[in-house]
Amino acid sequence: MLQAFIFYMFATVLVASAVMVVASRNPVHAVLFLILCFFNAAGLFLLMGAEFIAFILVIVYVGAVAVLFLFVVMMLDINFVDLRKGFRRYLPIGLAVGLILLVQLALVVSSWAYNPSSLSNTPILNSPDVDNTRAIGRVLYTTYLYPFQVSGLILLVAMIGAIVLTLRHKPDVRRQRSSQQLDRQIDQVMDVRKIEPGQGVNL
Amino acid sequence: MNFTSLYTAFPEISLAVFAMLMLIYGVVRGERSAQTVGIASFVAVLSIMIFVLKLGFIYSPGFPKLHISAGCYGCYAFDYMFIDDAFARFVKVILLCGSALSIILSWTYLKKENLSHPEYPILILFATLGMLLMVSANDLLALYVGLELQSLSLYVLAAYNRDNAKSSESGLKYFVLGALSSGLLLYGISLIYGYTGVTKFTSLSKLFIDMHQPPIGVLFGLVFICAGLAFKVSAVPFHMWTPDVYEGAPTPVTAFFAAAPKVAALAVLARLLIVPFGSLAHQWGQIIVFISVASMLLGSFAGLVQSSIKRLMAYSSIANVGYALVGIIVGGTAGMQALLIYVAIYFINTLGVFAVILSLRRKGKSLDRIVDFSGLAKTNPLLALTMVIFMFSLAGVPPLAGFFGKYFIFLAAVKAGMMPLAIIGVLTSVVSAYYYLRIIKLMYFDDGINIFDPLPEFGLRIVLAISALYMIVFTIWPAPIIDQALIAAHSLTGG
Amino acid sequence: MSQPLYMAAVFFPLLGAFIAGLFGRKIGDRGSQIVTCGGVLVAAALSIKIFVDVALHGEIHAFTLAPWIQSGTFTVNWGLQFDTLTAVMLIVVNGVSSMVHVYSVGYMGHDKSIPRFMSYLSLFTFFMLMLVTSDNLLQMFFGWEGVGLASYLLINFWYEKESANNAAIKAFLVNRVGDFGFALGIFGCFLIFGSVQFADMFHKAPDLANLSFLFLGHTLPALTTVCLLLFIGAMGKSAQLGLHTWLPDAMEGPTPVSALIHAATMVTAGVFMVARLSPMFEYAPMALMVVTLVGALTAIVAGSIGLTQFDIKRVIAYSTMSQLGYMFFAAGVSAYSAAIFHLMTHAFFKALLFLGAGSVIHAFSGEQDMRKMGGIWRKIPITYAYMWIGSLALAGIGLDGVFGMAGFYSKDMILESAAASSHWFGHLAYWLGVIVAFMTAFYSWRLLILTFHGRPRADAHTMEHVHESPWIMLGPLVPLAIGAIFAGWYADDWFVGAARSNFWNGSIFVLAQDNTIDKAHFIPEWEKWLPMGFALPGIIFAYVFYTLKPDLPGKVAKACGGLYRLVYHKYYFDELYDFLFVRMASRLGRIFWVGGDDGIIDGYGPNGVAALTGRIAKYIGALQTGYVYHYAFAMVIGVAAFVTWFWFRS
Repeated sequence: MLQAFIFYMFATVLVASAVMVVASRNPVHAVLFLILCFFNAAGLFLLMGAEFIAFILVIVYVGAVAVLFLFVVMMLDINFVDLRKGFRRYLPIGLAVGLILLVQLALVVSSWAYNPSSLSNTPILNSPDVDNTRAIGRVLYTTYLYPFQVSGLILLVAMIGAIVLTLRHKPDVRRQRSSQQLDRQIDQVMDVRKIEPGQGVNL
Repeated sequence: MNFTSLYTAFPEISLAVFAMLMLIYGVVRGERSAQTVGIASFVAVLSIMIFVLKLGFIYSPGFPKLHISAGCYGCYAFDYMFIDDAFARFVKVILLCGSALSIILSWTYLKKENLSHPEYPILILFATLGMLLMVSANDLLALYVGLELQSLSLYVLAAYNRDNAKSSESGLKYFVLGALSSGLLLYGISLIYGYTGVTKFTSLSKLFIDMHQPPIGVLFGLVFICAGLAFKVSAVPFHMWTPDVYEGAPTPVTAFFAAAPKVAALAVLARLLIVPFGSLAHQWGQIIVFISVASMLLGSFAGLVQSSIKRLMAYSSIANVGYALVGIIVGGTAGMQALLIYVAIYFINTLGVFAVILSLRRKGKSLDRIVDFSGLAKTNPLLALTMVIFMFSLAGVPPLAGFFGKYFIFLAAVKAGMMPLAIIGVLTSVVSAYYYLRIIKLMYFDDGINIFDPLPEFGLRIVLAISALYMIVFTIWPAPIIDQALIAAHSLTGG
Repeated sequence: MSQPLYMAAVFFPLLGAFIAGLFGRKIGDRGSQIVTCGGVLVAAALSIKIFVDVALHGEIHAFTLAPWIQSGTFTVNWGLQFDTLTAVMLIVVNGVSSMVHVYSVGYMGHDKSIPRFMSYLSLFTFFMLMLVTSDNLLQMFFGWEGVGLASYLLINFWYEKESANNAAIKAFLVNRVGDFGFALGIFGCFLIFGSVQFADMFHKAPDLANLSFLFLGHTLPALTTVCLLLFIGAMGKSAQLGLHTWLPDAMEGPTPVSALIHAATMVTAGVFMVARLSPMFEYAPMALMVVTLVGALTAIVAGSIGLTQFDIKRVIAYSTMSQLGYMFFAAGVSAYSAAIFHLMTHAFFKALLFLGAGSVIHAFSGEQDMRKMGGIWRKIPITYAYMWIGSLALAGIGLDGVFGMAGFYSKDMILESAAASSHWFGHLAYWLGVIVAFMTAFYSWRLLILTFHGRPRADAHTMEHVHESPWIMLGPLVPLAIGAIFAGWYADDWFVGAARSNFWNGSIFVLAQDNTIDKAHFIPEWEKWLPMGFALPGIIFAYVFYTLKPDLPGKVAKACGGLYRLVYHKYYFDELYDFLFVRMASRLGRIFWVGGDDGIIDGYGPNGVAALTGRIAKYIGALQTGYVYHYAFAMVIGVAAFVTWFWFRS
C-alpha cells in the first residue's frame, strides 16, 4: 500500500516535470525540472531495489550532467523565444504523432507478460545475499568486459572530439608556466645597475 | 572469456591499441606529427586488412566447413558477443580498404585547407574500429556500442572543419539526428530484451524459430531497430541528414562517409535481419521493401535537380542503398551474395568519384558544383576519362563493375520471384543514369572556364588508379570477389 | 610446314593492322608502312609456300583454333582449313595485297593519315584471309562482314568528301541486302543440315538434294532455296546485276583500294563462295541456272556501260563487274575451276590496270576524266607499257597452242565450258560472253587511246607536271605484270588442264554429267576461235573510232539516241532504286518519325516522362528544408507509420 503510494507519487511528479522541461519558457527552469525528473526516476529505481542505478543516476546525471547543462544555459546567450517560434505551428501534428505512438506503445506494454524463462538468461543471480552493486561489479569485468571496454573507447572518442572541435591555441595569450617560473635564476631576470641622476640608462 | 578471445579479435584489438598509441604520439609531438600519424595509420590499416584477408584464407579453405551450425570453433569471442565469420571478414576487408584509401585521399585536401592535425587519422581509426566491432557484433549490446563508437567519431569528423559554418552545422545536424536514431535503436533493443530476456543474436534466432507468433512488442522493437539502422544507411524516410551532411562535411570526410560506414551499417542490418530475425522475414520484409523502394525512387529523382556534386552523391548513395536493400529483402545465400558483391563494388566506385572531386581544383580552390566539370575533358583528359569510368559504372553501363553489382542484385530478386522490385530497380537506374551521364556530357561537350589545376599528388592518383582499374578488372576477373562473397553469404545463412 | 606458319599467313596482316592502327602515332608514318608491308609481304611469302605444299603436293590441313559458339546442337569453332581452293585464294589475296601495300607507300605518300590507311588495308587483308580460310559458313560470314567493314572504311577514307561518304554508305547498304540473304542462307543450312561446318554439309548434301520445306504455304526445294539465298549474298559482294550499283561509286576511295578490294579480292568473294559450296550447288540445278543467267546478264550490261563512260576508274570498275559476270556464269555451268582460274588471272591484270590507272591519275595531278587526258604516252612510257599489258590480258589476246596473255586462257576456258554445257542457258551465256569479249576489247583500247594518245586535252599547267611515277609505285607492278602475262600460260595445266584433278584434290566438286571442262575439249573448232574473232575487231573499232575518225563516236551516239542515253545512264538503275526504295523508305520513315516517334512515343514516353520526372524531383527537393527539426520530425513520423502498420496488421 505504502509502496504503491510512493510509486504513484514519484511517477506523477516524474511525468509532470518531464512535461515542464519541454513546456517551461525559462530555460533555467527547464533544466531545474530536468533535475527533478532525475531525482524522481532515481526514486523509482530505489523502489525496484536497484539502488546502484538510482545512485548513479543522481551522481552522474544530477551531479554532473544537469549541472553542466545549467551552466551552459546560463552562460550562453540563447534567445529561446526565437527557437520556439515554430512550436505552435507544429504542436498539433506533433501531438498527434506523439499520441499515436504513445497509445500504441501503451497497448503493447499492457499486453506484456513477464517471461519467467528470461530470468534464467540473465547472468546476474537474483540472490538475497549479493546486493546488486556487487552483482554488477562481478559481471562488468567478466561477461560484459567487451561492451564495457568499448564504452571506454567511446568516451575517449568523445573527449578527443570535444578537444578537436573546441580547443584553440592562441599564440598571443600569455600562460603561466610554473616550471619555467621555478627554474628561473635571479641573474637571468634581474640586472642591477647604478644610474647617475639625470643620465638615464640603456636597457 | 579466455585468451582465445584476444586472438579472435586480434585485428580489432590491435587497431584499438594502435589508435591509442598514435593518440599519445600525437599529443606528445603536437601538430608536427600530423603527417607521420597519417602515414602510420594508413600502413596500419592496410596491414590489418592484409591480416584479415589472411585469416580468411586460414579459416575458409572451402566454404562447406564454415557452417555456423557445424560449429564455428574459434569464431566467437568475449562470451559470444563477438563473432568472426566469413561474412564479417569479407565486410571488414572492404571497410579497412575503404578507410585506408580515405586516409590517403585526405592528405592534399587537409594540407591545402589547413586542417592537417593528427586527430584526423586517429578519428578515422576509431570510426573504423567501431565499424569493425559492428559487423562482428553477435549481441545487441555489442552492436550498440560498436555503432556508437563509429557514430561519435563520424559526428566529430563531419564538424572537423570547425571554422566553417557549413561543416559545423552538418556535424551538429548529424549529431542531433544521430542521437535520435540511437535513441530509437536503443529503445528497440530494450523492447526486444524486455520481451525475450536475451540479447545474443544466436539465442534470439533460436527463440524466434521456436516461437509460433512473436509478441507484438518484439515486432515494435524490430521496427525501432530497423529505423535506427535505416538512419545509419540513410534510407528513406530516415535519409534527410544525408545531403546536408555530405555537402557540409569536408570532402574527404564525405568520401569516407559514403564508402565505409554505409557498408558497415548495411552489413549490420543484414546480419541482424538474417540471423536473429531471420524467421520473422515476412514481418520485417514489408518495412524493408517500403524503405528500399522509397530510397530507390527518392534517390533517383531528387538527384536530378541538384547543383552540388556532393549533394548529388548523397542522393546517389540513397538510391544505391535502395538497391542494396533489395539484396537483404531477397535474403538467403543468393541475396546476401548479391548484397556483398554490390557493396564491394559500390564502395570503391564512390571513393573513386570523390577522388575525382578532390582532384578538381581551380587556383587552389576546391570545386564542388556540377557545372564545374564543364570542359574537363579538354584540360585534363585523363581525369575526365577516369570520371567517365566511374559514372558509367555507377549508372550500371555493362562492361564496368557497377553493372555487375546491379545485375546480381536484380538477378537475385528475379529468381526469388520479386519481379516488381527488380523492375522498379531497373527503372530508377534509368532515371539516375541521367545525372551520371550529364556529368559526362558536361565534361566532354560543354565549354567551361577550362582552367584546372594540374593533377594532384601521389595519394589521390593512387586512389584514382586503383578504383578505376578495379572497375575494369572486375569485369575480366570477378571470380575472387564472387567466390568470397558466396563463402561469406554461406557463413551468414548457414546454407 | 607447321601450324604456326599457316596461322602466320593469316594473322600477320592482323598484327600489322593492330600495330599500325593503335600505335600509328607512336611509330609514325614510316613505321606503320614498314609494319604493315612487312606483315603482308611475309604472309605473301608464306602463301607461296602453302600453295606449293597444299596445291602441288596435295597436303590438306585443317586446324581448330578455339570454340566460338556452343548452343544446344549448334556448335561453331574458329577453324582454319587449307585446301587447294584456299591456297589459290591465299596467293591471290596476299600477293595482290602485298603489292598494293607497297604501291600505297608511294601513292599515299603525301596523305595526312598514312597509319590509318595502312592499318585499314592490312585489316581488310586479314578479314579476306578469314573468309577464304574458314572451315564453316559462320566464320566465313565473319570474314564476309569484316571485308564489308574494311571496304566501307576505305571507300570513306577521305571522309571530308561528301561523295565518299555517300558512296561508302551506299556500298554498305547494298551489301546489307546481300548479307541478309547470306544470313538467311546460313540459317537455312543449319535448318537442313544441322550444321554450318562445310565438311558436314557437303557430306549430307547428296542425300538431301530432294528435300523440300514449307514456307507460307509454298513447297520449296530446300537445297535450291538455300543456295539461292547464299547466292544473293554473293551477288551483293560481287556486284552482280541488281545489287551492283555500289561498285562504280566505290571508286571514290583511293586507287590502291579500288585495285585491291574492288577489283582483285573482295568482289571475287562471291565467286569463291559459290566455288567453295560447289558440292551444294551441284545438287541444285535451278540455282545454277540463276547463277548463270545473272552472271551472263551482268557481263553484258556492265560491258555495255563500260563502252560509254569517261571516268577512267569507272570504266575499269564496269570492266571488273563484267569479268565477275564471266566468273559467275562459269560457275553456273559447273566450270568452277575455270571460274577460279579467271578469278586468279583477273586479279593480276585488273590490279595491274587499276594501279596503272592510279599512276596515270597521279601523273595528271588527280584528274580522272579521260576527256581531259591524252598525248602522254611518251612522257610516262612505263605506265603506258603496264596498261598495254593489262589491256592485252583483259581482252584475252593470244594464239591457241602457242602463247596467250593470262586472260586468254581463263576466258577462253570459260566460254568453251559454256559452249559445252548441255543446258540452254549455257549456250546463251556463251553468245553473250562472246559479245562481251568484243566490248571488252573495245573499251580497253578506247581507254588506252583516250588516255595516252591523241592531242593533249589537259590544260598546259597539268601537262607540264606530267611525270612518271616513282619506282615505289612502279616496282610492285612488275610482279603483277609478269602475272598478267604468264599466269595463264603457266597455270593452265593445273587449273583446267590435264593435271587438274590432282591439283584441286577434291576441293571443288562437279557431278559427272555436268563436267563441262572435260566436254570443252570437244566443242567445234569455230566456237573456240570465235571469242578471239570478236576481240580483235573490238581493238580495230576502237582504233577507228578514237584515232582515225574522232568525230565518229559522237555521230554514233546521236544515231542511237535513246539506246545510247540508256546505256550512258547505266540503264537508270540508280534512278530506279532511288525512286523505288530510297524515297519510299524515307517517306515511310518520315511518317513513323513525325507521327509515331515524335508524336506518340516521345510525346507520352521520354518527353512526357522527363517532364514529370523533373516535377517530381523539384517536389522532393522542396522537402529538404535544412531544418533539423523537420528532419527529426520526418524520422518520427516514419517510425510512427511503421508501428501503426504493424499495429493494424497483427
